[in-house]
Amino acid sequence: MKPLKIGITGVRGIVGETFTPELAVEFAQAFGTYLDGGRILVCRDTRPSGPMIRSAVLAGLLAAGCEIVDLGICPTPSMQLAVKWLEADGGIAITAGHNPWRWNALKFVRGDGLYLNPQQAEELLDIFHQNEFLKATWKGIRSSVLYDDPIPKHIEELQKAFAVDVIRKRRLVVAVDCCNGACSLLSPRWLEVLGCEVLALNNDPTAPFPHAPEPKPATMAQLCALVKAGRADIGFAHDADGERLGLVTDLGEALSEEMTLALAADIRLRTQPGTIVTNVSTTQAIDCIASQRGGNVVRTPVGQTFISEGLLEHDGVLGGEGSGGITVPEVHLTHDSAAAIGLILEHLAQTEERISDMVQYLPRLATLKHDVAVEPHRLYSVLQEFRAVVEQEGLTFDSTDGVKVTMPEGWAHVRASNTESIIRIIVEAKEKGKAAELLDWARDRIRIS
Amino acid sequence: MRGVIGQSLTPVLLTRFAQAFGTHTGSGTIVVGRDPRTSGEMVKHAVIAGILSSGGRVVDVGVCPVPTVQLQVRRRKAHGGIAITASHNPAEWNALKFIGSNGLFLDSGQARELLDIYHQGEYTKVSGEEIRSVEEVEGAGDAHVKAVIDTLGPLPSAGKKLKVVLDSCNGAGSIVGPKLLEALGADVIPINVTPDGSFPRPAEPLPENLGDLCAAVKKHGADVGFAQDMDADRLAIVNEKGIPIGEDYTLVLAALYVLGHERGPVVANLSTTSALEDVAKKFDCPLFLTKIGEVNVTDKMQQQNAVIGGEGNGGVIYPRINFARDSLVGMALVLHLLAESGKTVSQLLEQFPRYTVVKEKMACPSEKIPAILKMLRHEYGEFPLDTRDGVKVTLPEGWFLVRGSNTEPIIRVVAESRSESQAREIVSRIYARVASCIH
Repeated sequence: MKPLKIGITGVRGIVGETFTPELAVEFAQAFGTYLDGGRILVCRDTRPSGPMIRSAVLAGLLAAGCEIVDLGICPTPSMQLAVKWLEADGGIAITAGHNPWRWNALKFVRGDGLYLNPQQAEELLDIFHQNEFLKATWKGIRSSVLYDDPIPKHIEELQKAFAVDVIRKRRLVVAVDCCNGACSLLSPRWLEVLGCEVLALNNDPTAPFPHAPEPKPATMAQLCALVKAGRADIGFAHDADGERLGLVTDLGEALSEEMTLALAADIRLRTQPGTIVTNVSTTQAIDCIASQRGGNVVRTPVGQTFISEGLLEHDGVLGGEGSGGITVPEVHLTHDSAAAIGLILEHLAQTEERISDMVQYLPRLATLKHDVAVEPHRLYSVLQEFRAVVEQEGLTFDSTDGVKVTMPEGWAHVRASNTESIIRIIVEAKEKGKAAELLDWARDRIRIS
Repeated sequence: MRGVIGQSLTPVLLTRFAQAFGTHTGSGTIVVGRDPRTSGEMVKHAVIAGILSSGGRVVDVGVCPVPTVQLQVRRRKAHGGIAITASHNPAEWNALKFIGSNGLFLDSGQARELLDIYHQGEYTKVSGEEIRSVEEVEGAGDAHVKAVIDTLGPLPSAGKKLKVVLDSCNGAGSIVGPKLLEALGADVIPINVTPDGSFPRPAEPLPENLGDLCAAVKKHGADVGFAQDMDADRLAIVNEKGIPIGEDYTLVLAALYVLGHERGPVVANLSTTSALEDVAKKFDCPLFLTKIGEVNVTDKMQQQNAVIGGEGNGGVIYPRINFARDSLVGMALVLHLLAESGKTVSQLLEQFPRYTVVKEKMACPSEKIPAILKMLRHEYGEFPLDTRDGVKVTLPEGWFLVRGSNTEPIIRVVAESRSESQAREIVSRIYARVASCIH
């Protein structure tokens, strides 16, 4: 049985196993307690367990005396924006993002629309563990209202950030795979506002995920076929809740998820040289691009909350992660695949460049990723042991998040996942052979028992 | 399963109970309805989460009377139902009432099974892919009204329209009660029909709580006043003079109408007024008395194919429409009786001897009760005795019943006689005797 994962991104697990309605009720009541019974937004993606978890969350929040605005099925970034214009004290997104169908999770958002930072997540966890919740009386208990369609407001905010008229004039042909997730309600509409001819795939929020909701080449075959058949200018692949974005070029080639940030950074730095904020696990290509274009890179631990805070701290012009999550600060300080789409299409419209050409000039490194399942109680010990081995070998490393060892051929990053009980290994080198060697090097030094 | 919001009634507890129920009913379709209490929405969501998690499907009928939920369970051939209501308990309470697939509340065996599942904590947990859905149904109240009108028809249009004051206590009958009365063709004056969770009066429709209703009946010159409780299962009646007739007499009037149209067995409990017996005798129909408790009454009704039944607390059960205590059915039967007979409520009751029921209770540890009952059986051995539920003694001047409670450490003394003074005398005599045994 896969264990429950409680961490800085919230709590996630497999429904029918560890992710029980009681857990969702208690976490929601803990969050309501943490926010002192204020106004909380709730949204969800299209997973079949969504309504069950939603009821549990509503019960927990109502019991803590919260007032609830339920946005229904809607992308997480839409809810994060709505926290501000609905003047909420926070929000709960019921979505397991890129995890498979049977998973679900609660992601906690604070009053400024950003995820809780690690200290805040700890405080919430403390309340949960102590089990001392606010309990509203019959006079104090409030209710939940449904907010129908928060999408137009999101699109309004997006429009302010991009040259919409220029994009509309170009009538770009855009293929999009919404994975039958929450973006089904946002992306096709946003693309229409941008005047695109939309070739939408898997945009039925009532249908099951057609493939794993993680935008990477392995899940983009259908999209590639559509791009080719429809002679599209570009193809976009979504995860289940609108944070990550994958790209397919006009030639129908699926790009690695690392390329989304590479492309976005390249585009951004051409017109706004400045600081790109990313994490230590993301491709070195970002640094090459930044030095070419006159920008610089700040690297944080893995996790959206660090990107947001990094952007604030360094006045960054763009944020993102190698997983495909992009933050365009002028929209809001969180990953938003719709904002990334705006940025990319604006560039295509303004320059008439083709994605396939752009990608030619971007440094393409070989990245390999490998996950090792570890018992939860061993997770950090395994990491410590790897660190000890690396130290023994006299290698220098970056401990921002786990252990990242940089070597002449490339780098290897070993860290504990925020969302599952696994050790993630990511290696990068100039070419595949070397990357494979680096991966072997790392795997040989990891002992799980 | 009941408790106080903000204290013992927590969403975690509720979700677990709902999972236990979902497990118990084999992941079937469960109808969920609630009264207007402010905590109802929270409880409903906790219940839905639990049912869905255990593989069940939910039909959410919204705010509606308990008998409406029961009717829906049977109509839809659902596997069960949950009514979220604490009946006449004050506003800070709420509770879950579990309904079986036959539309009746769980009997003690089923309730025990449910508790076992709850205590063991081993609930069915389906995977994300197998989770089913929630269907929201808006017309359950209308369907209930239709069921009543389809069976009994509207009131005869000849003659003057009956004027009715309805006090729904801002409860679950607030919307559907007036709708039913209008559908019947009565002239409705509604009071306390705002289902916002506020309690305009104590919810139990006892005479002492019906002051506003009585005043309204007098002010408007109404033919009758009806009072519902929070979950609209019980019905109390105020006559055309603005005087409450007593909760025992709701069933008496209902039986008077029903037996006048269809002969058959009548069922009530041991604590019911002798007036019911008089009505049954008038129509030559057998009367069966059972132990106190709705489940006992409905069991006997099923067994005997009874045409009407209920308890002395204002609960009317008319199987032709709904096998449940149903205030809507009660109102319809009584209004039809008034229209058909052309008589007033007082005139209708005048044809029978008038009895007075006096009820008392006192604190008593449960272990002392057997000895007290044994003493009474011994001392009143020469009189007709019924010992199925405590001790009921039939005296020349009336009867008295002494029994413990399943839910509280008390002992109840009830007596009935033709004259109020005599009823009070019996009660004080027995009360003193019982008290002497306790101390």
